[in-house]
Amino acid sequence: MIRKVAVLALLLGALAGCRGESAQDLEQIPAKRVAAPLPFDDPASGLWQQAVEHPVKLLKQDLTEPMLKEPGVELVKVRALHDGEWVVFRLEWEDATQDLIPSTGHSSDAAALQFPLAPDGDVPHAAMGEKGRGVRIWYWKAVWQDDAARAQAGRGDRIASLYPNAAVDHYPFEASPSARAEMEKRYAPAQAAGNPTAVGPGAGGVQVLVAEGFGTTRALPAQAGRGHGQWGAGKWRTTIARPLRGGAELGDIEPGKRSYVAFAIWDGAQAHTGSRKMRSEWVPLVLREQ
Amino acid sequence: MARVYNWQIGRAMNYWYPENRPKRQFGAVFDINKCIECQTCTLACKTTWTSGRGQEFMLWNNVETKPYGSYPLAWDLQVLSRLGPQTWQNGRYTGRTVFEALPKGDRVLTTLRQDVDYCYPNVGEDEILGTVTRGGALSLPQQMWMFYLARICNHCTYPACLSSCPRSSIYKRPEDGIVVIDQSRCRGYQECVKACPYGKVYFNPATGTSEKCIACYPKIEQGIQPQCFVNCIGKIRLQGWINPPDRLREDNPVDYLVHVRKIALPLYPQFGLEPNVYYVPPINVPDSFLIQMFGPGAPAAVQAYRNAKNDKVLAGLFALFGSTERTIPYFKIVGDNAVALDDSRRELVRVPIYEPVHVRPAQDRLYQIMRSNTT
Repeated sequence: MIRKVAVLALLLGALAGCRGESAQDLEQIPAKRVAAPLPFDDPASGLWQQAVEHPVKLLKQDLTEPMLKEPGVELVKVRALHDGEWVVFRLEWEDATQDLIPSTGHSSDAAALQFPLAPDGDVPHAAMGEKGRGVRIWYWKAVWQDDAARAQAGRGDRIASLYPNAAVDHYPFEASPSARAEMEKRYAPAQAAGNPTAVGPGAGGVQVLVAEGFGTTRALPAQAGRGHGQWGAGKWRTTIARPLRGGAELGDIEPGKRSYVAFAIWDGAQAHTGSRKMRSEWVPLVLREQ
Repeated sequence: MARVYNWQIGRAMNYWYPENRPKRQFGAVFDINKCIECQTCTLACKTTWTSGRGQEFMLWNNVETKPYGSYPLAWDLQVLSRLGPQTWQNGRYTGRTVFEALPKGDRVLTTLRQDVDYCYPNVGEDEILGTVTRGGALSLPQQMWMFYLARICNHCTYPACLSSCPRSSIYKRPEDGIVVIDQSRCRGYQECVKACPYGKVYFNPATGTSEKCIACYPKIEQGIQPQCFVNCIGKIRLQGWINPPDRLREDNPVDYLVHVRKIALPLYPQFGLEPNVYYVPPINVPDSFLIQMFGPGAPAAVQAYRNAKNDKVLAGLFALFGSTERTIPYFKIVGDNAVALDDSRRELVRVPIYEPVHVRPAQDRLYQIMRSNTT
């Protein structure tokens, strides 16, 4: 029976290959090893054709308050590539609108990968880990990418983007050039306090977080993550990359050995934030030698 | 969920955390009858705290006209309409609070807010209840009414914002009961923005975090009242400390007005948050409206206020409003003066209770002319 299924799967895989589509693996995410530079920031790279796709089922978060009441996107298609140093995932999910800048009742589209700190040992529940059995999260948020793009293009900040026709006659911090920096901070205490949400993730575009249960998320000082998202035709395609060897702080993924990864997607149009998200259970992850 | 005691509704109720009252609780009294809606309080707060990028729409202090005004839009109607019947029996609230009328999957009854809700802070401003017809302008008491409701964060004993945060980024300071959002910890989930039934938490799109009134706690720490209090033209506000009724002190101004004379009442006590900003209700508004807004004690409070001019202690205490920048923990009446006292009962300021009155005859005998009553 298993033989027949295997033959059938092989045939289907071959057929899929004939049609120019990547093969699918329904059991796990097999990360293919490539020699070429990894497409850290390029979800459209041709290299992704070499990766096997794994469809990940997403569930609405209903384990702890506040819960997601209405389900959002229920599937994210995942591919992975690695080069022995880093592994990069490409997530593809349906999203009718591109939601960038958060405002009241509206948030940024976002996606995240979660890894157990110790995949060999006692792997915790896939929902944010447990005390003493932590998880590490690589978190991409569309607005941070948009912040960088707007800054580079000289297109103005978030407020100018949200409200292009708004006019403000005067900000107190405009009165005195020497006091400007200090006053701007006083009116943005989150930035002055170095809040990672306000300050942003830095050049990589992906924030690294640690969690040991609900409500314990915090950003790590070591920010080793990269990623980039492209939205088009009702779909996000987003790369998120992490180093394989993260040491004691970030955890290691050993090529050849089984590990696990879980996913979360937030839809800004539905004001998904925090625990109001679509999430997956652990998915087996294997880094192939080739 | 824990069970806590809320003295304003006279019963125990559900709350996310166990009862844990602060050492001292920031308490305020606003006399609605004196508010002229000059918005000086609003500007004092705005220039001090919310003049940054992303804060343009925020009015941590706002003044709205009732019955038709609201900022954010329809904040009170959205909660009142979903609580169910709000009934009282002998001072005990028998309806549901926002912690009890909650949908499954939430910690508190939430109100979905959009940025457009903040675009109309002056909606309904100065709109009286209805038109004046058929000689109504000549009747007393007035048939038509409106009043100004000045609002800040109530620094509630059981804050909905605090209980709604899944990361515990909001805390109540143990030294003064002021509720603040930890700006280094907030990740901008906006649960608090949805949870506060008074609409007093705001999301800052520039920083991606939520912000709210901080009761000018750096001033409180120095023993002085918040910006919106000291800048009030009408002298409608007084800041002190409020004790639970079993520990009230008669020489504490807020305790005296709230617990002893029951002339200062909480705003929408039926929400269940035990807010700590208390209001002297407006005297020419129908009982039914006042009872919904301030609880069943409102008609008696109006009567007490109408009689205040004949009550030396009340009249004196009201004269202390706006008389000093310092927080007023204690007071006493000495002769015809009201005296504000600090924590050690040393005198802060002394004010006469009654304006001295001089009567001049119509004719000035010295200059042989008639005095005229113009300025």
